[in-house]
Formats: sequence, C-alpha cells, structure tokens
Amino acid sequence: MSGGMTGPVRRSASPRRLVAIGVTLIMLLSPFLWLLQMSFKSNDLILQFPPPLIFTPTLQNYASLWQGAFAASFVNSLMSASFSTALALILGVPAAYALSRWAGRGKHALSFAILVTRMAPPIAFTIPFFLFYRWIGLLDTVTGLVLVYTSFNLPLVIWMMQPFFETVPSSLEEAALVDGASTRVVFLQIVLPMVAPGIAATAILCFLYAWNDFFFALILTRTHARTAPVAVVNFMNYEGWEWGKIAAGGSLVMAPVLIFSLAVRRYLVSGLTAGAVKG
Amino acid sequence: MTKKNSSHKSVGFSRRALLQTGAAALGAAAFPLPAIAQTKPFAGVTLRGASFQHRFFTLLQNYIPEFEAQTGMKVDLQLSAFPVYNQQANLELSSGGSAFDFVNVTFILAARWVAAGLLANLDEFTGDPNLTPAGWNPKDFVEGAQVPYRDAKGATYGYSWEGGAMVMGLSRMDLMEKKGLKIPKTFAELQQVCAEINGTDNVNGIVSFQLHHWCLPPYIQGFGGNIFRKPPADIMPTLNSPEAIQAVDYYANLLKNYAPKGVLTYTEDQARQSHMTGRSNIFIHSSAWITPILLSNDSKVKDTSRVVRMPAGPVHDYPAANSQGLGIPKNAKNKKAAWEFIKWALSPEISMRLVKEHGHSSVCRRSVIESEEYRKLNTVNGQDLGALYLEVLGLPAKGENYMAYRTVKEFPIVGDVLNKAFEQVATGQLAAQAAMNAAQEQAVANLRRAGTAL
Repeated sequence: MSGGMTGPVRRSASPRRLVAIGVTLIMLLSPFLWLLQMSFKSNDLILQFPPPLIFTPTLQNYASLWQGAFAASFVNSLMSASFSTALALILGVPAAYALSRWAGRGKHALSFAILVTRMAPPIAFTIPFFLFYRWIGLLDTVTGLVLVYTSFNLPLVIWMMQPFFETVPSSLEEAALVDGASTRVVFLQIVLPMVAPGIAATAILCFLYAWNDFFFALILTRTHARTAPVAVVNFMNYEGWEWGKIAAGGSLVMAPVLIFSLAVRRYLVSGLTAGAVKG
Repeated sequence: MTKKNSSHKSVGFSRRALLQTGAAALGAAAFPLPAIAQTKPFAGVTLRGASFQHRFFTLLQNYIPEFEAQTGMKVDLQLSAFPVYNQQANLELSSGGSAFDFVNVTFILAARWVAAGLLANLDEFTGDPNLTPAGWNPKDFVEGAQVPYRDAKGATYGYSWEGGAMVMGLSRMDLMEKKGLKIPKTFAELQQVCAEINGTDNVNGIVSFQLHHWCLPPYIQGFGGNIFRKPPADIMPTLNSPEAIQAVDYYANLLKNYAPKGVLTYTEDQARQSHMTGRSNIFIHSSAWITPILLSNDSKVKDTSRVVRMPAGPVHDYPAANSQGLGIPKNAKNKKAAWEFIKWALSPEISMRLVKEHGHSSVCRRSVIESEEYRKLNTVNGQDLGALYLEVLGLPAKGENYMAYRTVKEFPIVGDVLNKAFEQVATGQLAAQAAMNAAQEQAVANLRRAGTAL
C-alpha cells in the first residue's frame, strides 16, 4: 500500500508477458546453457546425435582441467585482468577528474589525443609490442600483459569517467575547500564516493576487456603467462578436440565475470545509465 | 738377480705410481669442472623447444629425463595447440627470433620456412661424423616423409617424427558381405558401395569432415587434375580444370547422398566417432584417424572392420600423405645442443621404444616400420597396418611428388577458396562448374593481392 506512494508501482505480469520473458531468456541464455550442459558430459555423449538432454552428469572434465595446466592459466588471467584494471583506474580516474575540471584551451585536443590510441585495431600494435617485448624480456610474462591491457584500458577509463565527474557539482568541492579540506581530500572523500557507480561500471568494462582478450595473449605469451582463453583453445589438438574440456574451460572462464558483475550489478546499472537522461 | 731386479723394479714402479696418482689427484682436485664437462658436454645448457601438442611429445617427455642425465642439458619443451603453435612459431621465426633452439616444422608451413631460410641446414650436422654417428643414418627416414623438408638443392631442414598416410577404413564389412559387395578399388566402385550400404541398418555409406582441402585433392588428382599447374615451380591455380570440376562433382555427390546430415561441418572427431561406432561405413583419412576402428578400446566395430588403400582414380592413384618434422631455427642459440636432442628423439632406439612400449606406430624410420616387432604389434585381424602405412607414406617420393601442392606457401590461400567452393557445390548453392570457375578467379585474385607473381 505504502509502496505505491514511495516506490515504483508493482504490477503482476500477465501470462503472455511471462511467456515472452521466458522465451527471450531461453534464447539469450541458450548458448551458455548448451556450453554448461556439454561440460558435464563425456566426449562420447557430446558427439552423440541427436544430443541427449537427459544424461548422468560427470565432473571429469572439470577435474582434468585442474589437474592440468589450466589452473595456472586461470590464475594468470585473474592476475593480468585484476592488476591491469586496478592500474588503469589508479592512473585514469585522477586524469579524468583533472580533465573534467580543466577549462583550458587544450582540453579537447588532449582528450582526443588520448582516444587516438583506441582508434587502430589491436593487430596494428601486435607486432611492435611483440618485438619490443622480446627486446626488453617481457615476452611470456604477466607483467607484459598487465602493461598492454593497462595501455588499452587507460583511454577507456579517462573517457568513461569524465562525464561522471562532470555531474558532480563544483559547488560541493568549493564548499569543502572553504572548510579547509585539501584538494586530495576533496577528491578522495567527496568526489570519488559520488562517482562510485561510474567507477564500478568502468572497472567491469576494463576487467572484461583484459579477461576476454585472446589476441594479445596469444602473441605475447608462450606457456608461462598463458591466459585462460588461450588455454581453452589449447584443447583443440592436432589429434582431436577435447570437447568436454573446452566446454568446462569456457564455463569456468565465464564464472569470474559473472560473479563480479552480479556483485556490483546495482552500480553497474546506475553507472551505465547515468547521464542518459538530463533533467 | 732376477729377484733383486724385480724387487727394484717393484719399488721404482710403486714410487712412480704413487707420484702419478698423487699428481692426478691434485689435478682432479684443482680442475674438477673440465673433467665433468668432458663427460657431459652440454652441462648447464637449457634447451628450449616448441611444438604443437601431440601424443609423440607426451610420450617423449617420459624419456627426456634420461636424455638430460646423459647430456647434462635441461630441456624446456613448450607444447601448445596446433593453431596456437603455428601462429606463435611463425611469428617467432619470421621475425628472426632466437627464443627456440628446436621447433616442429609443420607440414603446411614447411615450404615457406625452408624457402625463406628460417631454418638451419641440417646437412651440416649429419655430414659431420663428430656430430652424427654413422648408425643414425639419415637415409633411414621414409623418403616420402622427408620431401617437404628439402629445398630446391636437396638440402635437409627437418627430420620427420610423424607420418600421415591416407587410407580407407570400412567399419561394416559384415553388411558388405551380406550384400555381396567387395572392397572398392576404384572411384566408381566406391560410389556403388556407398549407394548400396547407405540406409541399411541405419548405416551411412560414408563419413568425412570439414577440412575439404585435405579430403578432396586425392579425388582431383585421381581424375587427373591438380590444385596448381605444376607445383612447386608453377603455382598457377587450376581449380576450374575439367578434372577438378569432375572431382568436386563426384565428391560432393558422395557426401550429399551417402553421408550423415551435417557432414560438411563435421570435425575429425565427429567423423571418427561416427566411424568407430559403426554409424558410417567408410571413412577416408590419415591412418592415425582410421586405425582406431581396429585398435581403439572405444571401437564397437573391431571385428567387422578393414583398413585398406583408398580407391584409385581413373587417371592416378594418389592417396594423400604428410609428415611433421623437427628442425632448428636459423638464429637458435644452442644449435649443437638442439641437434643432439633431435638426434636422440628421432634415433632408431627411441622410435622403437615408442612403438614397443606405447604402441605409437606413426614413426618415420623405415628400419623400425619394417622390423618384426613393429609388424607383430601392428598386424590386426591379419591386416598388416605397418606395411600399408609405409606403402602410402612412401608414394610421394616415387615418381611425381604429388603432395607438393600442399607444401607451397600459396596453398593455404587457395585451400581456403577451394573449401568454400566445395561447400557451395555440396549444399546445392552452385553447380560444380560455376563454383570452380568462381573459385579459380578468386584464388588468382587472392594470390595476386598477397603479392604472388603468377
């Protein structure tokens, strides 16, 4: 009763709407569900036609993944994606704040210059990165991957975070400064909490970019810093594809992103839609 | 006197011996490292090698500790998936890298790597008796498997560790016998057997998989055509020759009429599975994919299977063959150590151990394949699989090297075009002639765009 006054009106969905939602959900989730059910099947069952939908599930594919080198690749992926996301945010968020508050003539030119690095396809940078990394000994290292992903994520952070900072009224900062707070305190304690949804959304996008990257990981790693997406492809052997492991690996690769996204979904929605309606 | 002399002699000998022993002991104490280095000349060397994952290397890894103990070197063997390895090794070699001391020379990349001078000439090692004992015998490798690793002058840049020979597996000989059908020996007989068996007892006449540019060329060559005019010297594509069109039509009809639905997108695994469970009667592919119907524990058709030569065409009898080799990058840091490893890994002793201890039969040493032990292990239901393998693997070296089309660097471009054209025909989108005319134009355009002078 009171909900009607304070929050959005709750309406019970009509059966037709429920069916539509169910069908859409099944369609959207079917590739994921198919992959997931494959991961619990033996190779024989996976290749059976027509595919059996009722079967005795096995954890054999997951077990063999962790007995092999996949676990190390998974850790490599986690490390490179997490560190590069953190580094891009540490460098990019203050830069975005500075740019949003800067009223000088070079602002647009500088912003554009930062974005230029994202305008060429990754393939254009691959060979220079490969040769340079070989020269300085960063080939097949997690550090090398962190640096590449950071360099690609930095423009994204700067460009994504600027509009969030612009929505924070300058008067708030001025009031804090008048009260004696330093610029650092204003930034860390007043401005940053207000753009937290933006940071969460940006962090997810950065993490996704690094986590899902295949191309740079393929070229810049060998066996020591191999990441999970490359490790999944590694089950496509000359003598046959290990379908069960590919499916189990694919499902596991999805898990951290899913968990991370669920954990910050509230921020993600508000972060991604912020600024969509001005009023 | 004699006694005295003898006594003197004995005293003198003892003193001299004592001095010699003392000096030797002092020397050994002062210079211990050179003495060790003499017995293990590669002590302290870390040898880095790369290849795609394959059972051969998985098995070899069991023996590597023995090699490390013998030589003192440490072997860091990096194994990746086939596409991943090819991508990484291609980039490493093309950019003059020295990260690897030995590499797998992939069949489809062999010609490019050899022609571009990316590999070390192994004749320099085999020609030096200090580096290669006579017993190693480079000529023991099956000639047909060695062809891809030679340059125009005949210098060798790789030695093969695995051979693939295209054979035909028949999983339901029981059905064929019931119908009074014999093993097909010609393309016409193949079509007839497929037609007769298809649908009987829910069995498909034939099965294949999506790598059409591997499965189709033996038919094109069988009808008298080829992929290029005269590879490797003349690489003008000949995809719209009457023979190629006839072959595409023939093979497309086989798959359209007698193969399981969806066969055009089948992987090798799916095709093998269909074959091993008896759902498809005929499968024509490399021996490693076919012989499991007789050898694998998963096979449900062990008692009703036969493995034989693939049928011959009206003009040629050219079953496909390939091999994979080990080579040394031109800029490798430890070439001698790498050669030591290759020599050991491909020695007759290790090859024989792989056969005897693990049943790994796709080795390339003739002396091993022709040995009594090999024959015993690879004769199943009275079928000598080793002899069949050796026969097919050796064919490209006898007379025309008909597999040359596959080792030229232009092949991947033309192969892709051929794949697409075949799919258009097999799915009924285009007639064979129209598809192959378009493919020819496309192949020529793609090659020119890639900078090939035709």
